[in-house]
Amino acid sequence: MIGLLHCLASCPRPLPAQWLAFAPLAQSPGFTENLYPPLVLVLCVVAGLGTLMLLPSRREGAVRALGGIVVLTAALILGAKLIHKGGVHFYFWIFAFVAVAGAIRVITHPRPVYSALYFVLTVLATAGLFVLLWAEFMAAALILIYAGAILITYVFVIMLASQTSGQAKPLKAVTEFDAVSREPLVASAVGFALTGVLLFVIFDRAAAIQRSTEAAIPKFEGNEAGGGNTQALGWFLFNNHLINLELAGLILTISMVGAIVIARRRVVSSADAFEPTTETFVAPATPVDDNPHSIPVYGTENPRQKEYPET
Amino acid sequence: MEEIGLQQYLGVGAIMFAIGLIGFMTRRNLIVMFLCTELMFQGVTINLIAFGHFHGNLSGQAFVIFVLVIAAAEASLALGLVVLLFRQKNTLDADAWRELKG
Repeated sequence: MIGLLHCLASCPRPLPAQWLAFAPLAQSPGFTENLYPPLVLVLCVVAGLGTLMLLPSRREGAVRALGGIVVLTAALILGAKLIHKGGVHFYFWIFAFVAVAGAIRVITHPRPVYSALYFVLTVLATAGLFVLLWAEFMAAALILIYAGAILITYVFVIMLASQTSGQAKPLKAVTEFDAVSREPLVASAVGFALTGVLLFVIFDRAAAIQRSTEAAIPKFEGNEAGGGNTQALGWFLFNNHLINLELAGLILTISMVGAIVIARRRVVSSADAFEPTTETFVAPATPVDDNPHSIPVYGTENPRQKEYPET
Repeated sequence: MEEIGLQQYLGVGAIMFAIGLIGFMTRRNLIVMFLCTELMFQGVTINLIAFGHFHGNLSGQAFVIFVLVIAAAEASLALGLVVLLFRQKNTLDADAWRELKG
């Protein structure tokens, strides 16, 4: 970490030379006079500072609100510059703003349930972006799989986990590991340095990429048969990616079996092991002790649990 | 009114990927850490779909289907592992497994 900080501290020195090196890029069609490299870099630094203030820690709410305002300002300035450059496309900017704001809120909200709900918001906005890109089947699949299946599982696990651990605490208490983040300075610096570099490359090279793609193939907007994007995608998958599709099904099956095997394994924590045994012993939902096929758990100190199943 | 180009979509994807990366490094809750990996998946899928659209073929969307498959498999396995870890230490704190650093 010290090396990283040193690297970050030594970073500003060669920067003016780099800005001079980027000066010809500013005249290239990727950069207009509205969006030149130092501005993107400054905006990334500002957003990084805002995120640093916004990340969960034991500070007053005013500092975190200020961080939120800083991030919002940086995002709005970047968006305004890009709008000035890329034209006013109302839906795109709304969806992009909602997606990024939801993503920021996912990583800065101290309560995991709210993080998951903000992630649902991000998924919905991303699905909107997919619709704008004529990928309506992927938008529907994203909402079904992410918002419908994966996030529900996440929320269930979050609620189950916080239910048993938070029984003695008041409802409003946030646990310590949720309230204090780990190494926020280094993480923000690394993350927004990555963002700055990526935006540099994107806005420098994408003009060339776009020229090549416009010359290559006309844009795909539904097929000739009128079946739309979904039918075309089905044709494409089953003609070109049949083996991969079957392998995807195989991966899903294997992971399902693996998840069942992992979650079925009974683990007795050391806190549970020495609680006084009450007379009214409630049998577990799954008969783990007498099932010879249950997976043995080694190293437990529960006197009630047999270490090896009898075969 | 100009069309929204490839670079705007790539920018949104890059920003979302970086936000997910920051979240993965800073958050200490195991579940939120895996949520942040899903955030990074979102950024990558935006990139793939945008490339596919602007190149005029369906390879990007086919890629995203496989990304979704891997994300679903990863989520199920990761949540199973998180439940297992939670039952051992009775906490979701990633620092409870500090000894795994070696």
